[in-house]
Amino acid sequence: MKFTSEVVIGLEIHVQLDTKTKLFCSCRTQGEDNPNTRTCPICLGHPGTRPTLNKKALEFAARFCLAVGSKIAPELIFSRKSYFYPDMSKNFQITQFEEPLGVGGKVQLKEGKNINLIRVHMEEDPAAISYPGEMSKSSYSLIDYNRSGNPLIEIVTAPEMTSPEEARDFLNRLISILTYLKIFDVNRCIIKADANISIKERDYTRVEIKNITGFKELEKALNYEISRQKKEKVVQETRGWDGKITRSLRIKETEADYGYIIEPDLTIIKTKEFLNQKIPELAHQKAAKYIQAYSIDPVDAEVMAMELELAELFENVVQKVDPKLAAKWLRKELLRVLNYNKKSLKEVKLDEKYLVELLELVERGTINDLTAQKIMEELVKNQFSPKDYVQRNKLEQISDGLEEVCRKVISENKKAVDDYKLGSEKSLNFLVGQVMRQTKGRASPQAVSEIMKKLI
Amino acid sequence: MNNIIKKCKVIDKEYNYFTVICDDAKPGRGKLSGLAISVKDCICVKDVESTAGSKILKGYRPLFDATVIEKIRKEGGMIIGKTSQDAFGFGSFNTNVGLGFKVPKNPFDKERTTGGSSGGGAGLTQKADFPHVALTESTGGSIENPAAFCGVIGFCPTYGRVSRYGLISYADSLDKIGLMSKTVKDLRKVLEVISGYDDKDATSLKEKINFESKTKKFKIGLIKFDQGVDPEIKTAVEGAVKKLKNVEVAEVSLPITFKYGIPTYYIISTSEASSNLARLCGLRYGIEGNPKNKSFNEYFSEIRSQNFNEESKRRIILGTFARMAGYRDAYYIKATKVRTKIIDEYKNLFKTFDVIVSPTMPVVAPKFSEINKMSALQQYLMDVLTVGPNLAGIPHASIPVGNKEGLPIGLMACTDHLQEGKLLEFLQLVEDSS
Amino acid sequence: MKIDQELTRKVAKTARLNLTKEEEEKFTKDLQEILKAFSILDSIDIKNTRSSFRPIEQQDILREDEEKSCIDQEEALKFTKNKLNGFFIGPRTIE
Repeated sequence: MKFTSEVVIGLEIHVQLDTKTKLFCSCRTQGEDNPNTRTCPICLGHPGTRPTLNKKALEFAARFCLAVGSKIAPELIFSRKSYFYPDMSKNFQITQFEEPLGVGGKVQLKEGKNINLIRVHMEEDPAAISYPGEMSKSSYSLIDYNRSGNPLIEIVTAPEMTSPEEARDFLNRLISILTYLKIFDVNRCIIKADANISIKERDYTRVEIKNITGFKELEKALNYEISRQKKEKVVQETRGWDGKITRSLRIKETEADYGYIIEPDLTIIKTKEFLNQKIPELAHQKAAKYIQAYSIDPVDAEVMAMELELAELFENVVQKVDPKLAAKWLRKELLRVLNYNKKSLKEVKLDEKYLVELLELVERGTINDLTAQKIMEELVKNQFSPKDYVQRNKLEQISDGLEEVCRKVISENKKAVDDYKLGSEKSLNFLVGQVMRQTKGRASPQAVSEIMKKLI
Repeated sequence: MNNIIKKCKVIDKEYNYFTVICDDAKPGRGKLSGLAISVKDCICVKDVESTAGSKILKGYRPLFDATVIEKIRKEGGMIIGKTSQDAFGFGSFNTNVGLGFKVPKNPFDKERTTGGSSGGGAGLTQKADFPHVALTESTGGSIENPAAFCGVIGFCPTYGRVSRYGLISYADSLDKIGLMSKTVKDLRKVLEVISGYDDKDATSLKEKINFESKTKKFKIGLIKFDQGVDPEIKTAVEGAVKKLKNVEVAEVSLPITFKYGIPTYYIISTSEASSNLARLCGLRYGIEGNPKNKSFNEYFSEIRSQNFNEESKRRIILGTFARMAGYRDAYYIKATKVRTKIIDEYKNLFKTFDVIVSPTMPVVAPKFSEINKMSALQQYLMDVLTVGPNLAGIPHASIPVGNKEGLPIGLMACTDHLQEGKLLEFLQLVEDSS
Repeated sequence: MKIDQELTRKVAKTARLNLTKEEEEKFTKDLQEILKAFSILDSIDIKNTRSSFRPIEQQDILREDEEKSCIDQEEALKFTKNKLNGFFIGPRTIE
């Protein structure tokens, strides 16, 4: 493969599927987090136990392949990948080697660039290892098998990303697709990436960085690695990311020999019955629809479409309220408030009808933006009728008697008036602010500003 | 302590047939009431030490009963103990016992082998003077071989007929749980209870056995194979077939099976076994050391090197090699293809024949002194007559037909997949004619 | 293909077995003898033959995604002395 860009990045992403039970046993995937409380003889690798395949996991994996356009193999075949490590309860991982479930497919980034997928396959998660102190200084490891056997799909991309931002965008888009398909939940499921990165300056010598959790860490790790590669000598190797730097993980050559055999305990499964799944409209399709139908800003459309709950909320709200207004308030205000409170839309359980009420109040000019923002902040914490709230607290926007208040403020703030006459914008804002105070925030700042300018 | 358990202890002291005797064994009620069942050590019995005859699993007391054990208990069968075997099933003479275990002795001559790997079960079946059936397992011949050497009936059903959930694996595409007894009647009784689909074993069969099989006239294919087979054994087997009334006999050959069966079997079984045994490394159960201050490779290698016996190491090495990059195609993959040809060879014969017959073993039970002189390869070659039906996963059994100088001779009969009913019919025929 | 002590050592290492000098010699000799006998497989034509990974195939056995009770922490850790605060103690993960 011939590379030309400055930076070449390929990703291998492990996604935990949102099933109730593990891939090869009936242990729950969610629940108690105390170590070794969600295990059984099968996922602990006890002698005499054997795997049985979770139907839902296959359904989910096939759904993903269909959504991204991967060609699905007619038969599902598992293999044993042998390697010795404390997190492997059998010292082999049941995965797919001979023929992956899906081959090819693609994910579209913004501005229409496609990242091709090489393969998608199913496999089980190993256990989680932690340490009594810092990893390199610990004399032993601590192993928790709760995660052992969780169902994963591994998605391997072509090395077509050319910057850490692009890699981050890819991961974001992938998460959006997974959430839309209802096979992944950001709160319950883990997603990890291994990245292969090389730079032109070093003749595209490839380095693998393992086990990066989350899209923010991905961008950080890749940026770090690029600057490291520019400064240091680069050898083909595997490195680990610890949150601050990448460090070399010396892998012994014997570990590279996985000695694959077909998993004899699992029968071959025909995938035909899983190909008839209905794939919902995905984010990029929804965004395009919003732009076309509602003429809203493309960026607003994309941001809202990325998150399924938000997209569905928007689609319901535009039935009642002007789309452009809805887009502004959902995309800017609602998200701002959610982020500030570190909550997701799903968690907040926002009652749609109250949101619609609020936006209608804004649309009719009954309340000003400031009041609306304050109500939005409250709605995220509690559910209540904005209409009642506004009435009860007399928060309606004032337009009558504004002139009188303005005159009063002018007479009380001679200096500011003079400064404004001399050209100070700040003073005008100050005067407007005084009117807002006197009207308890209920005046429209724009109207006040106009009146002030007229009077002075 | 019940009477039967007392007898077991006496037998064990003399012959080393047990790894564990269940002092608290109690009789139960159901189809198997009154029947004592011994269990090959590789089959998990809850809270009873189950080590597959190995040192590395010492102390492992399973948290669960194997499905077969659950079924036996439900029908009132009394579990009397775990029987001796070659560690992990690796052996044809039960001489490859785990480090610290004792070698079981042939019930007819203590200087001779019981056969393997289910030597303990076979010896006990011969020696028990109480109603008893041995629950055992075969991968390449581990039921029929010791059954022949100990003069009892050894029955190995179709692959998948009996659930393997709870069977400590040797090779998962070859392991089959089966039975040994003195009579066909007892075999049938227990087989009815232990066979059937288990949703914990994806390879277990949904079809049921047709126990009402009625064959008008058995068409018998007698295998023509002379290489290294004791002529007296050949005579005894042919003679037993001649005694059968209302049968048709013709000579058959299985050239592919006999030429390529041994390498095919050993490559596939050791490839799978070496991967099955990887989990034994001193973590979570079994023998353990102190993992602190040791790297994982160091710790694993230490535990494994100190606790596997020689044959286990040899088969792990052979199996690891056979699936290594660079050798995998020529060995593991190739063997799986030759296996197809072997299965086809049997299926072809079953288009014409109801049952295929041969001696079970080429010799009668050898002396330990003779076995000690054999190389690993020479021991492997002893399986020449048994690997075929095991690779093909067809039901097969060994039944005693005479003896040579007091040592039993076994006749092996195989039927097509799923035809256990027919095989039982045939065995009854042989039993009745002797 | 050379079956020598170096190969035996390499294979043993992959399988996490430390061999003594005697074991290395013995196993190499065994491997040589065994593989020589097994080389008979070179003479069979398997072109166009499918692999059999099991002797008889069951079709499409799948498990419903329904929880069954797990074992508790105490049971999980029952067979080892190497445990701490509910975790299994394992060896170091770096060389």
